[in-house]
Amino acid sequence: MSVLSPEVKALLKDPDVFKVLATVDDKGHPHVVFKNHKIDLLDDGTIVYAEVIESSHTNSNLIHSLWFDKHVAITVKGRDGTSYQIKGKVERYDFVSNLFREYYRKLRARKGPDSELSGLWYIRPESVKDETPSVRRAEEDTKHPFFRHLDRELVAA
Amino acid sequence: MGQAGNDLSVKELIVKYPDYPRITIIKLDTAYRGVQVTAAAVAQAEQDGAIFRAPEAKEDDKGEGELVFGGAQFRDGSIVRGLEDSISVKKYHLQRIGNPYTLDIVDGKAWLLDGEKKVEPVFFTPVPQFYGKTTSRGIPMNKVVRGSSNVLGINVYNYCYFWKHKLACQYCGSVQNFTTKNETHTEASLQDIYETVNEALKEQGRWTSFAFIVGSDPQGERPYDREVEEIIKVSRTLQRVFGKRPFPLRLISSAVPQDQLLRYRDAGVTAIEPHLEVWDKQLFNIICPGKAKFFGWDYWVNNAIAGVEVFGRGNVCSQFVCGAELSQPHGFKDEEAALRSNFEGAAFFARHGVTTSANILRLAQGSLFYAQKQKHPSLEYVIRLTKGLHDIRRQYHLGVDCNDFKRCGIHPDTDLARLFNHEVEV
Ligand code: SF4
Repeated sequence: MSVLSPEVKALLKDPDVFKVLATVDDKGHPHVVFKNHKIDLLDDGTIVYAEVIESSHTNSNLIHSLWFDKHVAITVKGRDGTSYQIKGKVERYDFVSNLFREYYRKLRARKGPDSELSGLWYIRPESVKDETPSVRRAEEDTKHPFFRHLDRELVAA
Repeated sequence: MGQAGNDLSVKELIVKYPDYPRITIIKLDTAYRGVQVTAAAVAQAEQDGAIFRAPEAKEDDKGEGELVFGGAQFRDGSIVRGLEDSISVKKYHLQRIGNPYTLDIVDGKAWLLDGEKKVEPVFFTPVPQFYGKTTSRGIPMNKVVRGSSNVLGINVYNYCYFWKHKLACQYCGSVQNFTTKNETHTEASLQDIYETVNEALKEQGRWTSFAFIVGSDPQGERPYDREVEEIIKVSRTLQRVFGKRPFPLRLISSAVPQDQLLRYRDAGVTAIEPHLEVWDKQLFNIICPGKAKFFGWDYWVNNAIAGVEVFGRGNVCSQFVCGAELSQPHGFKDEEAALRSNFEGAAFFARHGVTTSANILRLAQGSLFYAQKQKHPSLEYVIRLTKGLHDIRRQYHLGVDCNDFKRCGIHPDTDLARLFNHEVEV
């Protein structure tokens, strides 16, 4: 069963919401980039990341993740501030399948015939965390009351 | 691989070399052990468009060009090696080691199996859409241009003078490929190429470059003149297709004087591969007698360096046949010394902007090495060598775009270049 709720799925499928992909290279350096419309969701719950720059740092990091079984993180943020972080494993790099061709054609239709698509990365989501600020704060207040500043208790509810 | 009886197993190597990709180690192992494809997998490949049967092909036909298998890829997009003599055209016999892997269908998906054990899922590569079409004079396009995963390959000159004159490289088993035809291109054959490439380009999102495969022919007024003229004829044909726009084209051909390289560049060539094959000079003279005679180690090395001035850093690639340097009785007896020699060569080349690739030695029937019963290098040696070549390339921020996992796919060291493409300097 997918770890993605219908709300998270809807955000992943929406090309216009903010989507950030975080990867790590083989030296442990993080690399975090906005990827909005380049991240999509397949019906079987696999996340697709469409890479357009073959020599990008992200591309190097994703092959590092696939080869050495490292996680990547994707953060999505809806228009109302709702935000989720998804952690997953990189399953496959694809540049020959029918699905790749479909994305290639769609990209050209949207961005013009000179657009490039290097390959598709398939990411299997393993966990999701609600990172919406109000949700996180409520969670923190409940789980770690010692971490709150006392003066906040004086604020009228 | 157990040849010496004390080599580490794949499982042990994966543990011992945690910074070397597991999939690449498996890929190396499939290259040596071979892969058998089950009937269920053939049926699935056919359904996935990965098998082309020429209209005249019979069910069990393995004749040249009649049945083509597009092959398969691992999860990382690199090719599964060891499929050469599975269901496709059987060009020559490779000496295999141990039991072959099996490519089968498990729960509806293609898997590489070791015995009964699932090793890795694999994905079939569709054959090009232009296969099955013919040129205006009726030549099957699959016989004019070969499409692999991402590259359009053209055999520009099917003749190696070294084979004809008993000067072949000792590991080379391409006797059938390079001795049968000594033909030069005609207007009609160039038109076949022109039409086939135009047809191939209709398949959007498939091809990223061209590769010319050329046999060595030192004849002519100037070194390798005949070969040069054939290359230029075919690259000019590609220029007809693309007009003034540049296109990536690499040559796997001989070392030629720099003014000829400039002619190549004008004709559209963007990268060259004058393969030295063996870095140690004395071994080069023994293992590659043709290249040694026409026109020696220094000539081949200097040509590669001169090529960088014409094509730029990383666009000249020299190949080492990884393991040839261990052949006996003349080769290194000590693996450490052999590694040092290869690394010295790669570092020397890298300082001059020449990139290297390792073609792992596989014993092919027809080669002198095969007749001599030479041995394959151990998997561990290959891992250490290819990792070292990769580290040197990275230290020099040197790319190998023209010969990487997509543009060629048989070199484990250039597979690793994917880890640092973002650091490459041109
Ligand atoms: S490897 Fe050597 S013998 Fe074989 S085709 Fe190339 S140049 Fe000729």
